[in-house]
Amino acid sequence: MVNLATIHIKQIGIIKIGGLKIMNRHYRRTMLFIVLALVLVLSACGSSTNTTSSSATQAPATDKPKEAEPSPNKEEKEKVVYIGIVNVPVTLNQINDQGDSAADNAIALINDSLLDLNEKFEFLPKIADSVETTDNQTFVVKLNPAAKWNDGQPFTTADVAFTLKTALNPKVETNFKLNFIEGLNDAGKLEEGTTEISGLKIVDDKTFEVRTKTPIDPLIFKERFGTKVFFLPEHILKDVAPEQLSTNPYFQKPEVTIGAFKIANFAQGQYVEVVKNTDYYRDVAKLDKIFIKVLPATNLVAQLQTGEIQMNSVPVGLIPITDYEKVKGFENVDLASGNPSVPPEIFFNSNKIADPKVRQAIAYALNRTLIVDQLLKGQGEVIDGGIPSYHPYFNKDIENYSYDPEKAKQLLEEANWDKKQPIEFLVPVGNKIREQAADILVQNLTAIGLNIQVQKFDFPTLIQKVQKGDYDITIFTRDFYIEPSSYFTLFKSTNPGNFLNYKNPLVDELITKGETEADPAKRKEIYNKLQETLHEDVPSLAVYSEKRLLAVSKDVLVGKPLDIGMFNNINEWDLK
Amino acid sequence: MLNYFIIKLAPGNPVDMFIDPNTPKEVLELRKEILGLNDPVILQYFKWLLNLLQGQLGYSFSSYAPVTKIIGERIGPTLLLASAALIFGMLIAIPVGILSAVKQNTKFDYIMTGLSFIGTSIPQFFLGLGLIYVFAVQLKWFPTGGMITLGGAGGFWDRLTHMILPVFVLGIVIAGKKVRYVRASMLDVMNMDYLRTANSKGLHPFIVTNKHALRNALLPIITVVGMEIPLLLGGSILIEQIFQWPGIGQLTIQSILSRDYPILMGLNLVAALIVLTTNLLTDLLYAAADPRIKYT
Repeated sequence: MVNLATIHIKQIGIIKIGGLKIMNRHYRRTMLFIVLALVLVLSACGSSTNTTSSSATQAPATDKPKEAEPSPNKEEKEKVVYIGIVNVPVTLNQINDQGDSAADNAIALINDSLLDLNEKFEFLPKIADSVETTDNQTFVVKLNPAAKWNDGQPFTTADVAFTLKTALNPKVETNFKLNFIEGLNDAGKLEEGTTEISGLKIVDDKTFEVRTKTPIDPLIFKERFGTKVFFLPEHILKDVAPEQLSTNPYFQKPEVTIGAFKIANFAQGQYVEVVKNTDYYRDVAKLDKIFIKVLPATNLVAQLQTGEIQMNSVPVGLIPITDYEKVKGFENVDLASGNPSVPPEIFFNSNKIADPKVRQAIAYALNRTLIVDQLLKGQGEVIDGGIPSYHPYFNKDIENYSYDPEKAKQLLEEANWDKKQPIEFLVPVGNKIREQAADILVQNLTAIGLNIQVQKFDFPTLIQKVQKGDYDITIFTRDFYIEPSSYFTLFKSTNPGNFLNYKNPLVDELITKGETEADPAKRKEIYNKLQETLHEDVPSLAVYSEKRLLAVSKDVLVGKPLDIGMFNNINEWDLK
Repeated sequence: MLNYFIIKLAPGNPVDMFIDPNTPKEVLELRKEILGLNDPVILQYFKWLLNLLQGQLGYSFSSYAPVTKIIGERIGPTLLLASAALIFGMLIAIPVGILSAVKQNTKFDYIMTGLSFIGTSIPQFFLGLGLIYVFAVQLKWFPTGGMITLGGAGGFWDRLTHMILPVFVLGIVIAGKKVRYVRASMLDVMNMDYLRTANSKGLHPFIVTNKHALRNALLPIITVVGMEIPLLLGGSILIEQIFQWPGIGQLTIQSILSRDYPILMGLNLVAALIVLTTNLLTDLLYAAADPRIKYT
């Protein structure tokens, strides 16, 4: 365009010599050029303001590290790890992650909890030195005496009390699930008008006690309070009204947190940048910076190869299983397979498919081994229940439904199922493997003569239809829980969230028993029985349990993606 | 307003996305109440309108950041990408189109029309992924995506290397389409009587082509380019996905999937503004290029 303009300007010079109506024409021409020039300037302005505005937003990214880093260290190369994820972290709010696992990644980097969980399901002390109970009802928590916020302020029981009172206020949203604490209602909130939690007793600056409504398995307390509760700094947020908490600027960039790293930059949809907290109360991190980088799955593999990222993260940064051999071939990357993960499950609407025999028939009709062998390239296993096989409460004695189409047909006969009756199968789009698996399932079901009608939806649409009961069969994946009761609440007939419309008095009884039993050995028995009962009744059926691919660059000495507890030793992570 | 209702009509809502069956109903209700989703849709609309008049676009349902801030951060990169691509595309299209028309039915013309055909018909995602594979993964000349090197020093060159591939892909498609317009429009004009007159007066062919012909040929081109700009912003959605360009395209998709109504409405507003501005600009340019059109 610039060239074009100069050409025109030259022409003016030439034309002037021969033309008669120079003035008039010249005038029009200049008008044209002025407007053209204006457009140029405008677009140039557009781009230059963009550069300035975006460099303004980037400025903290480049400036921060300089502040954080003492100048002598400058000579050494900064140790930076890039973690690639596919899902977008939506928030950094440590008391309300909105159920977003991608956000959990970022939150875990900058916030410590009382305890942490490693990949062997062992609880490790973090902010808490000890969590003890003698009667499974009163839990005494002693905080690490050195614990302090990253601005140097000591972390005390006052912060614990402030966090709980704030998060459990009926006007505040939180993902804490603490309804087992005395003084809270079934939703795990304080009643309107009360501000004190009767189950919380502050003993001194570093000691507090929590009393539960009934005796519970310490596992529940350690998971839901110990590892899922993150804290708010009272000295920063004490004057904020509860209703205005979520939109407070603090949560856009929570600078004061307690963790091995602190936030440097949060660019929505692009990346989260954290720098090491040099004032950490435990061993100061060896890495200088960590980036969580959001990118499409295809680029995840490409960037592992180019070294632009050092590792992926599960379940939010899944490497497509179709790239298994490719990534295996990368010389700069170690590839491991994770534990067989939480499976996608088929859920039956028990109002529509009421006879357990029909559900069993469907279970026999599915060739799930084929899915694992072909689709997952052997990187997975077949299980029937929703609890993955490495979970401590997994019932090993249950025998899977085998692939037996004849038996399936026979069961359908026995149940007098009208094969012409259409069965609506809702499939969510987004997870390619799951969609392909669903295609295989549909073929299997059509093969035994069922009239399956597939409908594909985006997730929000699907969930709404499912919750309205507007489906016959659907398939999706649930979360991973260490606490076993969390897998079964869904099947309780009194749970309004029981979209399966499944009712079984025995199951209800076992669920309640499991929730209230405090002795781990007895609980194990209850949950084994519960899994057996559900296995016979088939309100839901797992399809495949995928061993997720965990890739990490050979440059990384300590630190790798893990199914659980990936960040428990984040301060020890190191590069070559 | 229509947009508002269409968005709201889409099934699903931001609250039910939390399928964790262990979440008590009360908590979900609380969330709906806080987000104002329990009000009738019409009331929600007027609340939104009222806020808009005060310059408030509300807060995102997911991140709770102000909508103006979120869109403000994203619109810059998109405009940068789109305008760079448009300039790049037109820089190719105009000279090539003119030459093609002047040398009609020569080898040059055939090759260029052929290339422009390929440019128009090649799928952007295919070209994008292909270029990433060749130039970023194999040759390592350019980064695979993003707008800046994370943790790098930044600066102009850094940004430029990140821009080259996406701008090239977007620009090629624009150039492909526009070469044909420029060529066709030049050919129309070149058969006019006044050009024969100009030629017979003994004017230099360069002047005849670039002054007499091009100026008249520009009119339809301006219209087409004006129409292209809003499309360009939409078209960059795909490119932004592939190259992880942090623009409004990415934001739109994320917001649709999470049913983030306030952001979607904000984006609609921005889109409307862009269409209006480009229309106005096109009209102004028109008047400048064609003396017959006058605004009095």
